[in-house]
Amino acid sequence: MTEAQPVGETVIELDESLYPKDAIYGAAYVFIDRCYVHLDRPAPGRVSVRLRPKANVTVASADLAGELENELLGQAWRRLLVDENRRLVETVTTQALAGAAGPPGLDELLEMDLDAEAFDDPLGIAISWEEKYKKRPPKPEGE
Amino acid sequence: MQLARLGSRPKRPENLLPVRHRKVGDAILLTTQFGDWVFVSDAELAELMAGKLEPGSSLEARLREKKFLLDSLDAGALADRVRRKKSFLRHGPNLHVLVVTLRCNATCVYCHASRAPMDRVDTDMSRDTAEKCVDLALRSTAPRITIEFQGGEPLANFPVVQHAIEYALTKNRAYGKELEFTMVSNLSLLDDERLDYLVKHKVQICTSIDGPAALHDKQRVLAGGSAFSQAARWIRAINQRYVDLGLDPTLYHVEALITVTRAALDQPRQIVDTYLELGCRALFLRPLDPFGFASETGHKIEYERRSYLDFYREAVDYMLEKNAAGSEILERYASIFLTKILTDDDPNFLDIRSPCGAGIGQLAYNYDGSVFTCDEGRMLHEMGDDLFLLGRAGEAKYRELMTHDTVRAMLAASNLDAQPDCVSCTYAAYCGICPVHNYETQGSLHGRMRESDWCRVHKGIQDYLFEKLARGEGSVVETLKRWTTARERTHFLQQCASS
Repeated sequence: MTEAQPVGETVIELDESLYPKDAIYGAAYVFIDRCYVHLDRPAPGRVSVRLRPKANVTVASADLAGELENELLGQAWRRLLVDENRRLVETVTTQALAGAAGPPGLDELLEMDLDAEAFDDPLGIAISWEEKYKKRPPKPEGE
Repeated sequence: MQLARLGSRPKRPENLLPVRHRKVGDAILLTTQFGDWVFVSDAELAELMAGKLEPGSSLEARLREKKFLLDSLDAGALADRVRRKKSFLRHGPNLHVLVVTLRCNATCVYCHASRAPMDRVDTDMSRDTAEKCVDLALRSTAPRITIEFQGGEPLANFPVVQHAIEYALTKNRAYGKELEFTMVSNLSLLDDERLDYLVKHKVQICTSIDGPAALHDKQRVLAGGSAFSQAARWIRAINQRYVDLGLDPTLYHVEALITVTRAALDQPRQIVDTYLELGCRALFLRPLDPFGFASETGHKIEYERRSYLDFYREAVDYMLEKNAAGSEILERYASIFLTKILTDDDPNFLDIRSPCGAGIGQLAYNYDGSVFTCDEGRMLHEMGDDLFLLGRAGEAKYRELMTHDTVRAMLAASNLDAQPDCVSCTYAAYCGICPVHNYETQGSLHGRMRESDWCRVHKGIQDYLFEKLARGEGSVVETLKRWTTARERTHFLQQCASS
């Protein structure tokens, strides 16, 4: 998977069916403090990642390649886990944020713009049930 | 191992909950996602992997007793237990770290706080900023909060510490929170007048002791004297004050922390003895963090985590010996993990829970009022990276901070149910990860646990503890159980009636 490159550079070519594009972006991004990163599409369904170490970086290119490969696996697996455990993760996150934030305080309610114009309601969604289906007055006799 | 022997994907007996397994010493440990655990033999594991569980067998009885079988579960009781263990999700930050100055009169080889020289008074927190930080802290939805004064050396800006305490006590009359104060200090700037104030205001005092005098003084250099002598003198004086107040010295004493450097690794017993001699009943064997000066001095003070774990085992073995001989001392990591392993409680240690406490469990306030997800996030700010900056006290609203994108990202990144490796780890129910540590060492909030020193340390410590539980030596297990008993230090709770 890793090609021979000029000294210091590493190019890794990936099969997009194994590594989703967002996992590739995520893994490549981890290196931008140490390398200049270039993504390319050498063939349909293939993505290449080129890492060019910055001037002060002394890490061997084999180590950079290995780290990128491990990071790719982690990002791809994490993506699957988030899909599989979405309900559990979202429940915990919602509980944690709601518990930490609490309800809005009086000062926040006072800051709300209560004088704003009512929003447009062309479909009549905001009309109450009673108003919408109220009994019509009986028709006058003789009609 | 078992998979290879069986040659096919293992089947699980229909009645068995999903389990994770790990070889621990000579035994096989099985755990469930709810934190229940049991030891089985190789043969028993092979039987389970083949989908067999003999009705009426001793294995079935053990699994039933330990709640590994579906028909042994009480769904209501289980839900209550999960709710209790995750009760920290119901409230906001309970720990509020106020860095009242970056100035410090000591130079520590690993300083995580990025201290400033003593003439840098521009790094002192002002009274006005302290008030804004306290205002924000009291807005937390947590019914109980701890305000922790840190530095630098907080005694270098003592008037602001005093002002923050008095302001918090006054303002809390309207909030009625259970309020505690702690101060982390090298104690060298303490005097009797300041100690009178701290004792009177029930401020818990914590310090650092890195081991015997020679080691401590080598790592924590104090201009004009021995850092160890200063700390030891004041630890004894403070502990005596507690005795004079009629407080139980086994519960009320100065808390001391060690930062384990390479030089400490060959002195585990001497370090334990030093703590015992000083009257410290708890020892937190923390390895080096990659923040602050430690990121620069690492080549001199860092070490392989395998060596740290050898050190840990020897130190805790020795502590267990001491306990058997009648000297009470506990190790904090062990206490945290054992509470999760042996009880239905969670000690809410912010770095070892899922999700971690960044933002939702703690906030760190820098001297200039900038607010961070946690103290580690603030340390990175001092190293030039503002990723964990949430806002500024006096400007940001509390709820904005709690729902900040960075807090959400930290929550997502530290939830073990979405973390590769952790999700299938035998220790998942007891563990936690630190996104700031991941970011600093591996470049992303999520990190790669298999390659992480954080994971290596946590797994190694839990291996050690489960080995002890598997061996089941009476006095050792008794001591380990005692380490899970958290006695409330009610003296330090401020008496504050809600108005």
